[in-house]
Amino acid sequence: MSSADKPSAVLQAATPTPPEIKHVPSSRKPVRAAIKARLWLCIYLPVLPLEALDRQKRTTARAVFEDEQGIRRVMLANEKAAAAGIRPGLSVNAALSLLPGLQLEMRDLDQEGRALKRLASWAEQFTSFVCIEAPTTLLLEIAGSLRLFEGMVTLRRRIARGCEEKGLTAQLAIAPTPLAARWFAKADREACIDDMAQLNRPLSVLPLHCLDWPDSVTESLGGMGITCVGDCLRLPRAGFARRFGAARLLQLDRALGRAPDPRVSYRSAEQFCALHDLDEELDDRELLLQVCRQLLLKLERFLLTRQMQVQRVQFSFFHLRSAATHRVLCSVQAGRNAEHWFELLDIQLDRMTLPEAVISIRLRGGPGQLSSMATDNLLFDPSIKPREGSIACLVERLNARMGEACVRGVATVAEHRPQYAWRPVSVSDTAPRGTVRPDGGNEQPLPLKLWRPLWLLQEPERLASDDARPLYQGPLTLLDGPERLESGWWDDDGIARDYFVALTVNGVHLWIYQDRNKQAAFWYLHGIFG
Amino acid sequence: MASGLQGLPSGYPGLDRHLAGGGWPQHALTEILLEHYGAGELKLLMPALARLSQPDRDHDPESTGWLAWIAPPFQPYPPALVQWGIDLCRVLIVRPREESEILWAAEQALSSGNCAAVLLWPGVLSVAASRRLQLAAEKGGSWAIAFRPLSARSQSSAAALRILLSASREGTELHILKNRGSRPATLRNVLRDYADA
Repeated sequence: MSSADKPSAVLQAATPTPPEIKHVPSSRKPVRAAIKARLWLCIYLPVLPLEALDRQKRTTARAVFEDEQGIRRVMLANEKAAAAGIRPGLSVNAALSLLPGLQLEMRDLDQEGRALKRLASWAEQFTSFVCIEAPTTLLLEIAGSLRLFEGMVTLRRRIARGCEEKGLTAQLAIAPTPLAARWFAKADREACIDDMAQLNRPLSVLPLHCLDWPDSVTESLGGMGITCVGDCLRLPRAGFARRFGAARLLQLDRALGRAPDPRVSYRSAEQFCALHDLDEELDDRELLLQVCRQLLLKLERFLLTRQMQVQRVQFSFFHLRSAATHRVLCSVQAGRNAEHWFELLDIQLDRMTLPEAVISIRLRGGPGQLSSMATDNLLFDPSIKPREGSIACLVERLNARMGEACVRGVATVAEHRPQYAWRPVSVSDTAPRGTVRPDGGNEQPLPLKLWRPLWLLQEPERLASDDARPLYQGPLTLLDGPERLESGWWDDDGIARDYFVALTVNGVHLWIYQDRNKQAAFWYLHGIFG
Repeated sequence: MASGLQGLPSGYPGLDRHLAGGGWPQHALTEILLEHYGAGELKLLMPALARLSQPDRDHDPESTGWLAWIAPPFQPYPPALVQWGIDLCRVLIVRPREESEILWAAEQALSSGNCAAVLLWPGVLSVAASRRLQLAAEKGGSWAIAFRPLSARSQSSAAALRILLSASREGTELHILKNRGSRPATLRNVLRDYADA
C-alpha cells in the first residue's frame, strides 16, 4: 500500500491548524472519491503471553513474569491467580508468598510471535492484507472483503469465533484507520465504525492508557487533567508537539485519518511445512495414515487460501533412534486435493518399511504454483471434470510406486548418429498433441530404404570376428549395406561407421556396424530388427 | 467377452485367416513365446499397434490409444517405430526397478482404460498372474501382450491366444498353440521381411 491511497486530509493537516475536523475534504473531491476507503479490523490478544505458553493448563493459577534488569515482575496473571490477588507489576517473590501454588513462567516472546504468525496465516483467508503488530496485535484491512463475507458484522463474528476456537482471547474493533482500530480494540470498545466522519466522537472519549504511550507521558498528561484523546486534541498542536513529542501528535493525526499511516502486509510462507508430534511411538500403518491425512488436509487449506497448487510433497517420518525416512510424492498435474495425495501416499506406504516406530511426521509442500482456474471445476461442466482416468493419473500411480523417471515417453530427434536420433521425454497430459516432439523433430520418417531396427542396444556390443568377418552365434551373413554414417565430428562424440544388416544362423536380423575411426575396424552390434 | 468382439486386423492376411474374429483378440491376453529376441516378435505386432496408436479414435484423444511397453529387454528405437507408423505421442515406456513390479504396472496400465495395448516382458508368469492380466485387459478394454521364453510352452495359461515364434534363415514360423475360438495351426512366410515395405 502506498501513501497515495490514503485520503487527502493529510495535506490539510500538515499545516498547523487547530486539530479539529469539521469536514472531510477527501470525499468531496471527485478524483479522490474513486479511491476506495480503507477499513481496518484489529485483533488484540490481551492474554496472549499466557495463552501462547500452554493452552492446557487452564485450571491452575498461572502467571507470566518478565525480567527487567534482574527484577522479576508479574506481567500477566490468569483469572484464578488474579482472584488470589496476583496483579501485574507485583514482584515474583511477593506473588509466590501470596499464592505458593502459583505456576510462574517466564514470558516467551518467540512463542508469542509464532502464535501471532499462525493467527495471521489463518486470517489471510479473510483478506490479502494482514499486518502483525507485535507483540499482541493483528490488523486486517477488510474494505475489500466486506461483500464476500456479508458485511462487517458477519465478518467480525466469524473472526471472533475463529479466535475462540483457537483458544485465544481476542478483542476486536473495526475503524477506518489502523491506529483507531487498534486503540478501540485495546479499550475493548466494541467499535464498528466504517465512516471517517463518525470516527471523531468515539475516539475522543478513549482513555489515554489505550494508546500505548509511556506511563510517564500518560501520568504527566493526567496531572494536567488530560485523561482522554479528546482532551489532547483540544490542546494547541505546536505546544503539544513540543512537550510530548511530534511523534505523539503524528499518532493522533494518523488515528483520525489526517496523516497517512502506511502499513506493510504480512506474507506468510509460500512453502508449506507442518510437523505433527505424535503422543506416543506409532508403527500402525492405519494410524500413521490418519495423521498423514490430517497433515494433507492442512496443506489443502494452506494452498486454498493462496490459490496455489503443488506438484510434489515430501513426507518425513522421524524415529527415535534411526535416521528419518523421507518419501516424496509427485503428481503429474499440480493439485491441492488432499484425497488425491492421500491415495498416492497409500500406494507408497504399501511398499515402504519403516525401520522403527515413528515419533513425528513432517509434511512439506513443494514450491507452489498459482492454480489455473481451468482445472478447478466450479462449473458443473463434465467436459472440465474428467481428470480421473486420464493418462496422467496412470503415470502418477506408476511413479508413486516405482519412483520417478520410471515412466517415459519417446521422441525422435533430427540427428544422424543413431544413438542420438531419439530421446526420452516426460509424459505430460497437458501438452497438446505433437508438441512432445523436440524442436526440429524428425517429422519425416527416414527413407524407407534405410530400415532401422526396432530394438536398439543401450551400448553397442563388440562382436568377435573371424578373419574380418563378424560373428554372432555363428558367422553372420551381410544382407544389406553399407550405410555410411559419418557425423558429429564437431563434438567429442563423432562417429564414422558403416552399418550393415546381417542375418544370424538363427534367422535373426541384426544391425551391425564397422567402426572406421579405429585402425582395427572392429564390428559392433547396435540393434536387432525384432 | 472376447469371443463376441471383432479381431484386430494384424496386417498379415495370412495370419488373420487363422485367428478367431479375423485378427488379434481384443480385450484379452496374447502370449508370444520365443527362443531369443529378434525372431520377428515386434514385426508381428507393428501393423496392429500402428493402427491402435493412430489418433482417429472416437474417445478422448488425450487419454486413450496409448501403447505401454513394460520392462522391454532393449530400447524400443523411436525412428524405427515411426517407420512402422507408430504415433510416438502415444508411446509409454515403463521400466520398473524390480521384477515384482512388472506385473503390477501391467495390471495398472491394462485396467486404466488409457492403453490400447500393453506389451510386457515378465520374468515369470504364473497361471494366476496370467488370469489377472486377462481380467485386467477385459476390464480396461485393452490388449495385453506378454513375451515369454520357450520354456513356458508346457505351462498352462489363461491367455486367449498363444503363439510360438521360431526363426530360421528361411524365415519366421508361427505356431499357434492356443487359439480361443479357433484351431491351432503352423504358419510359414506370413511376416514381412525386414526390408519389405
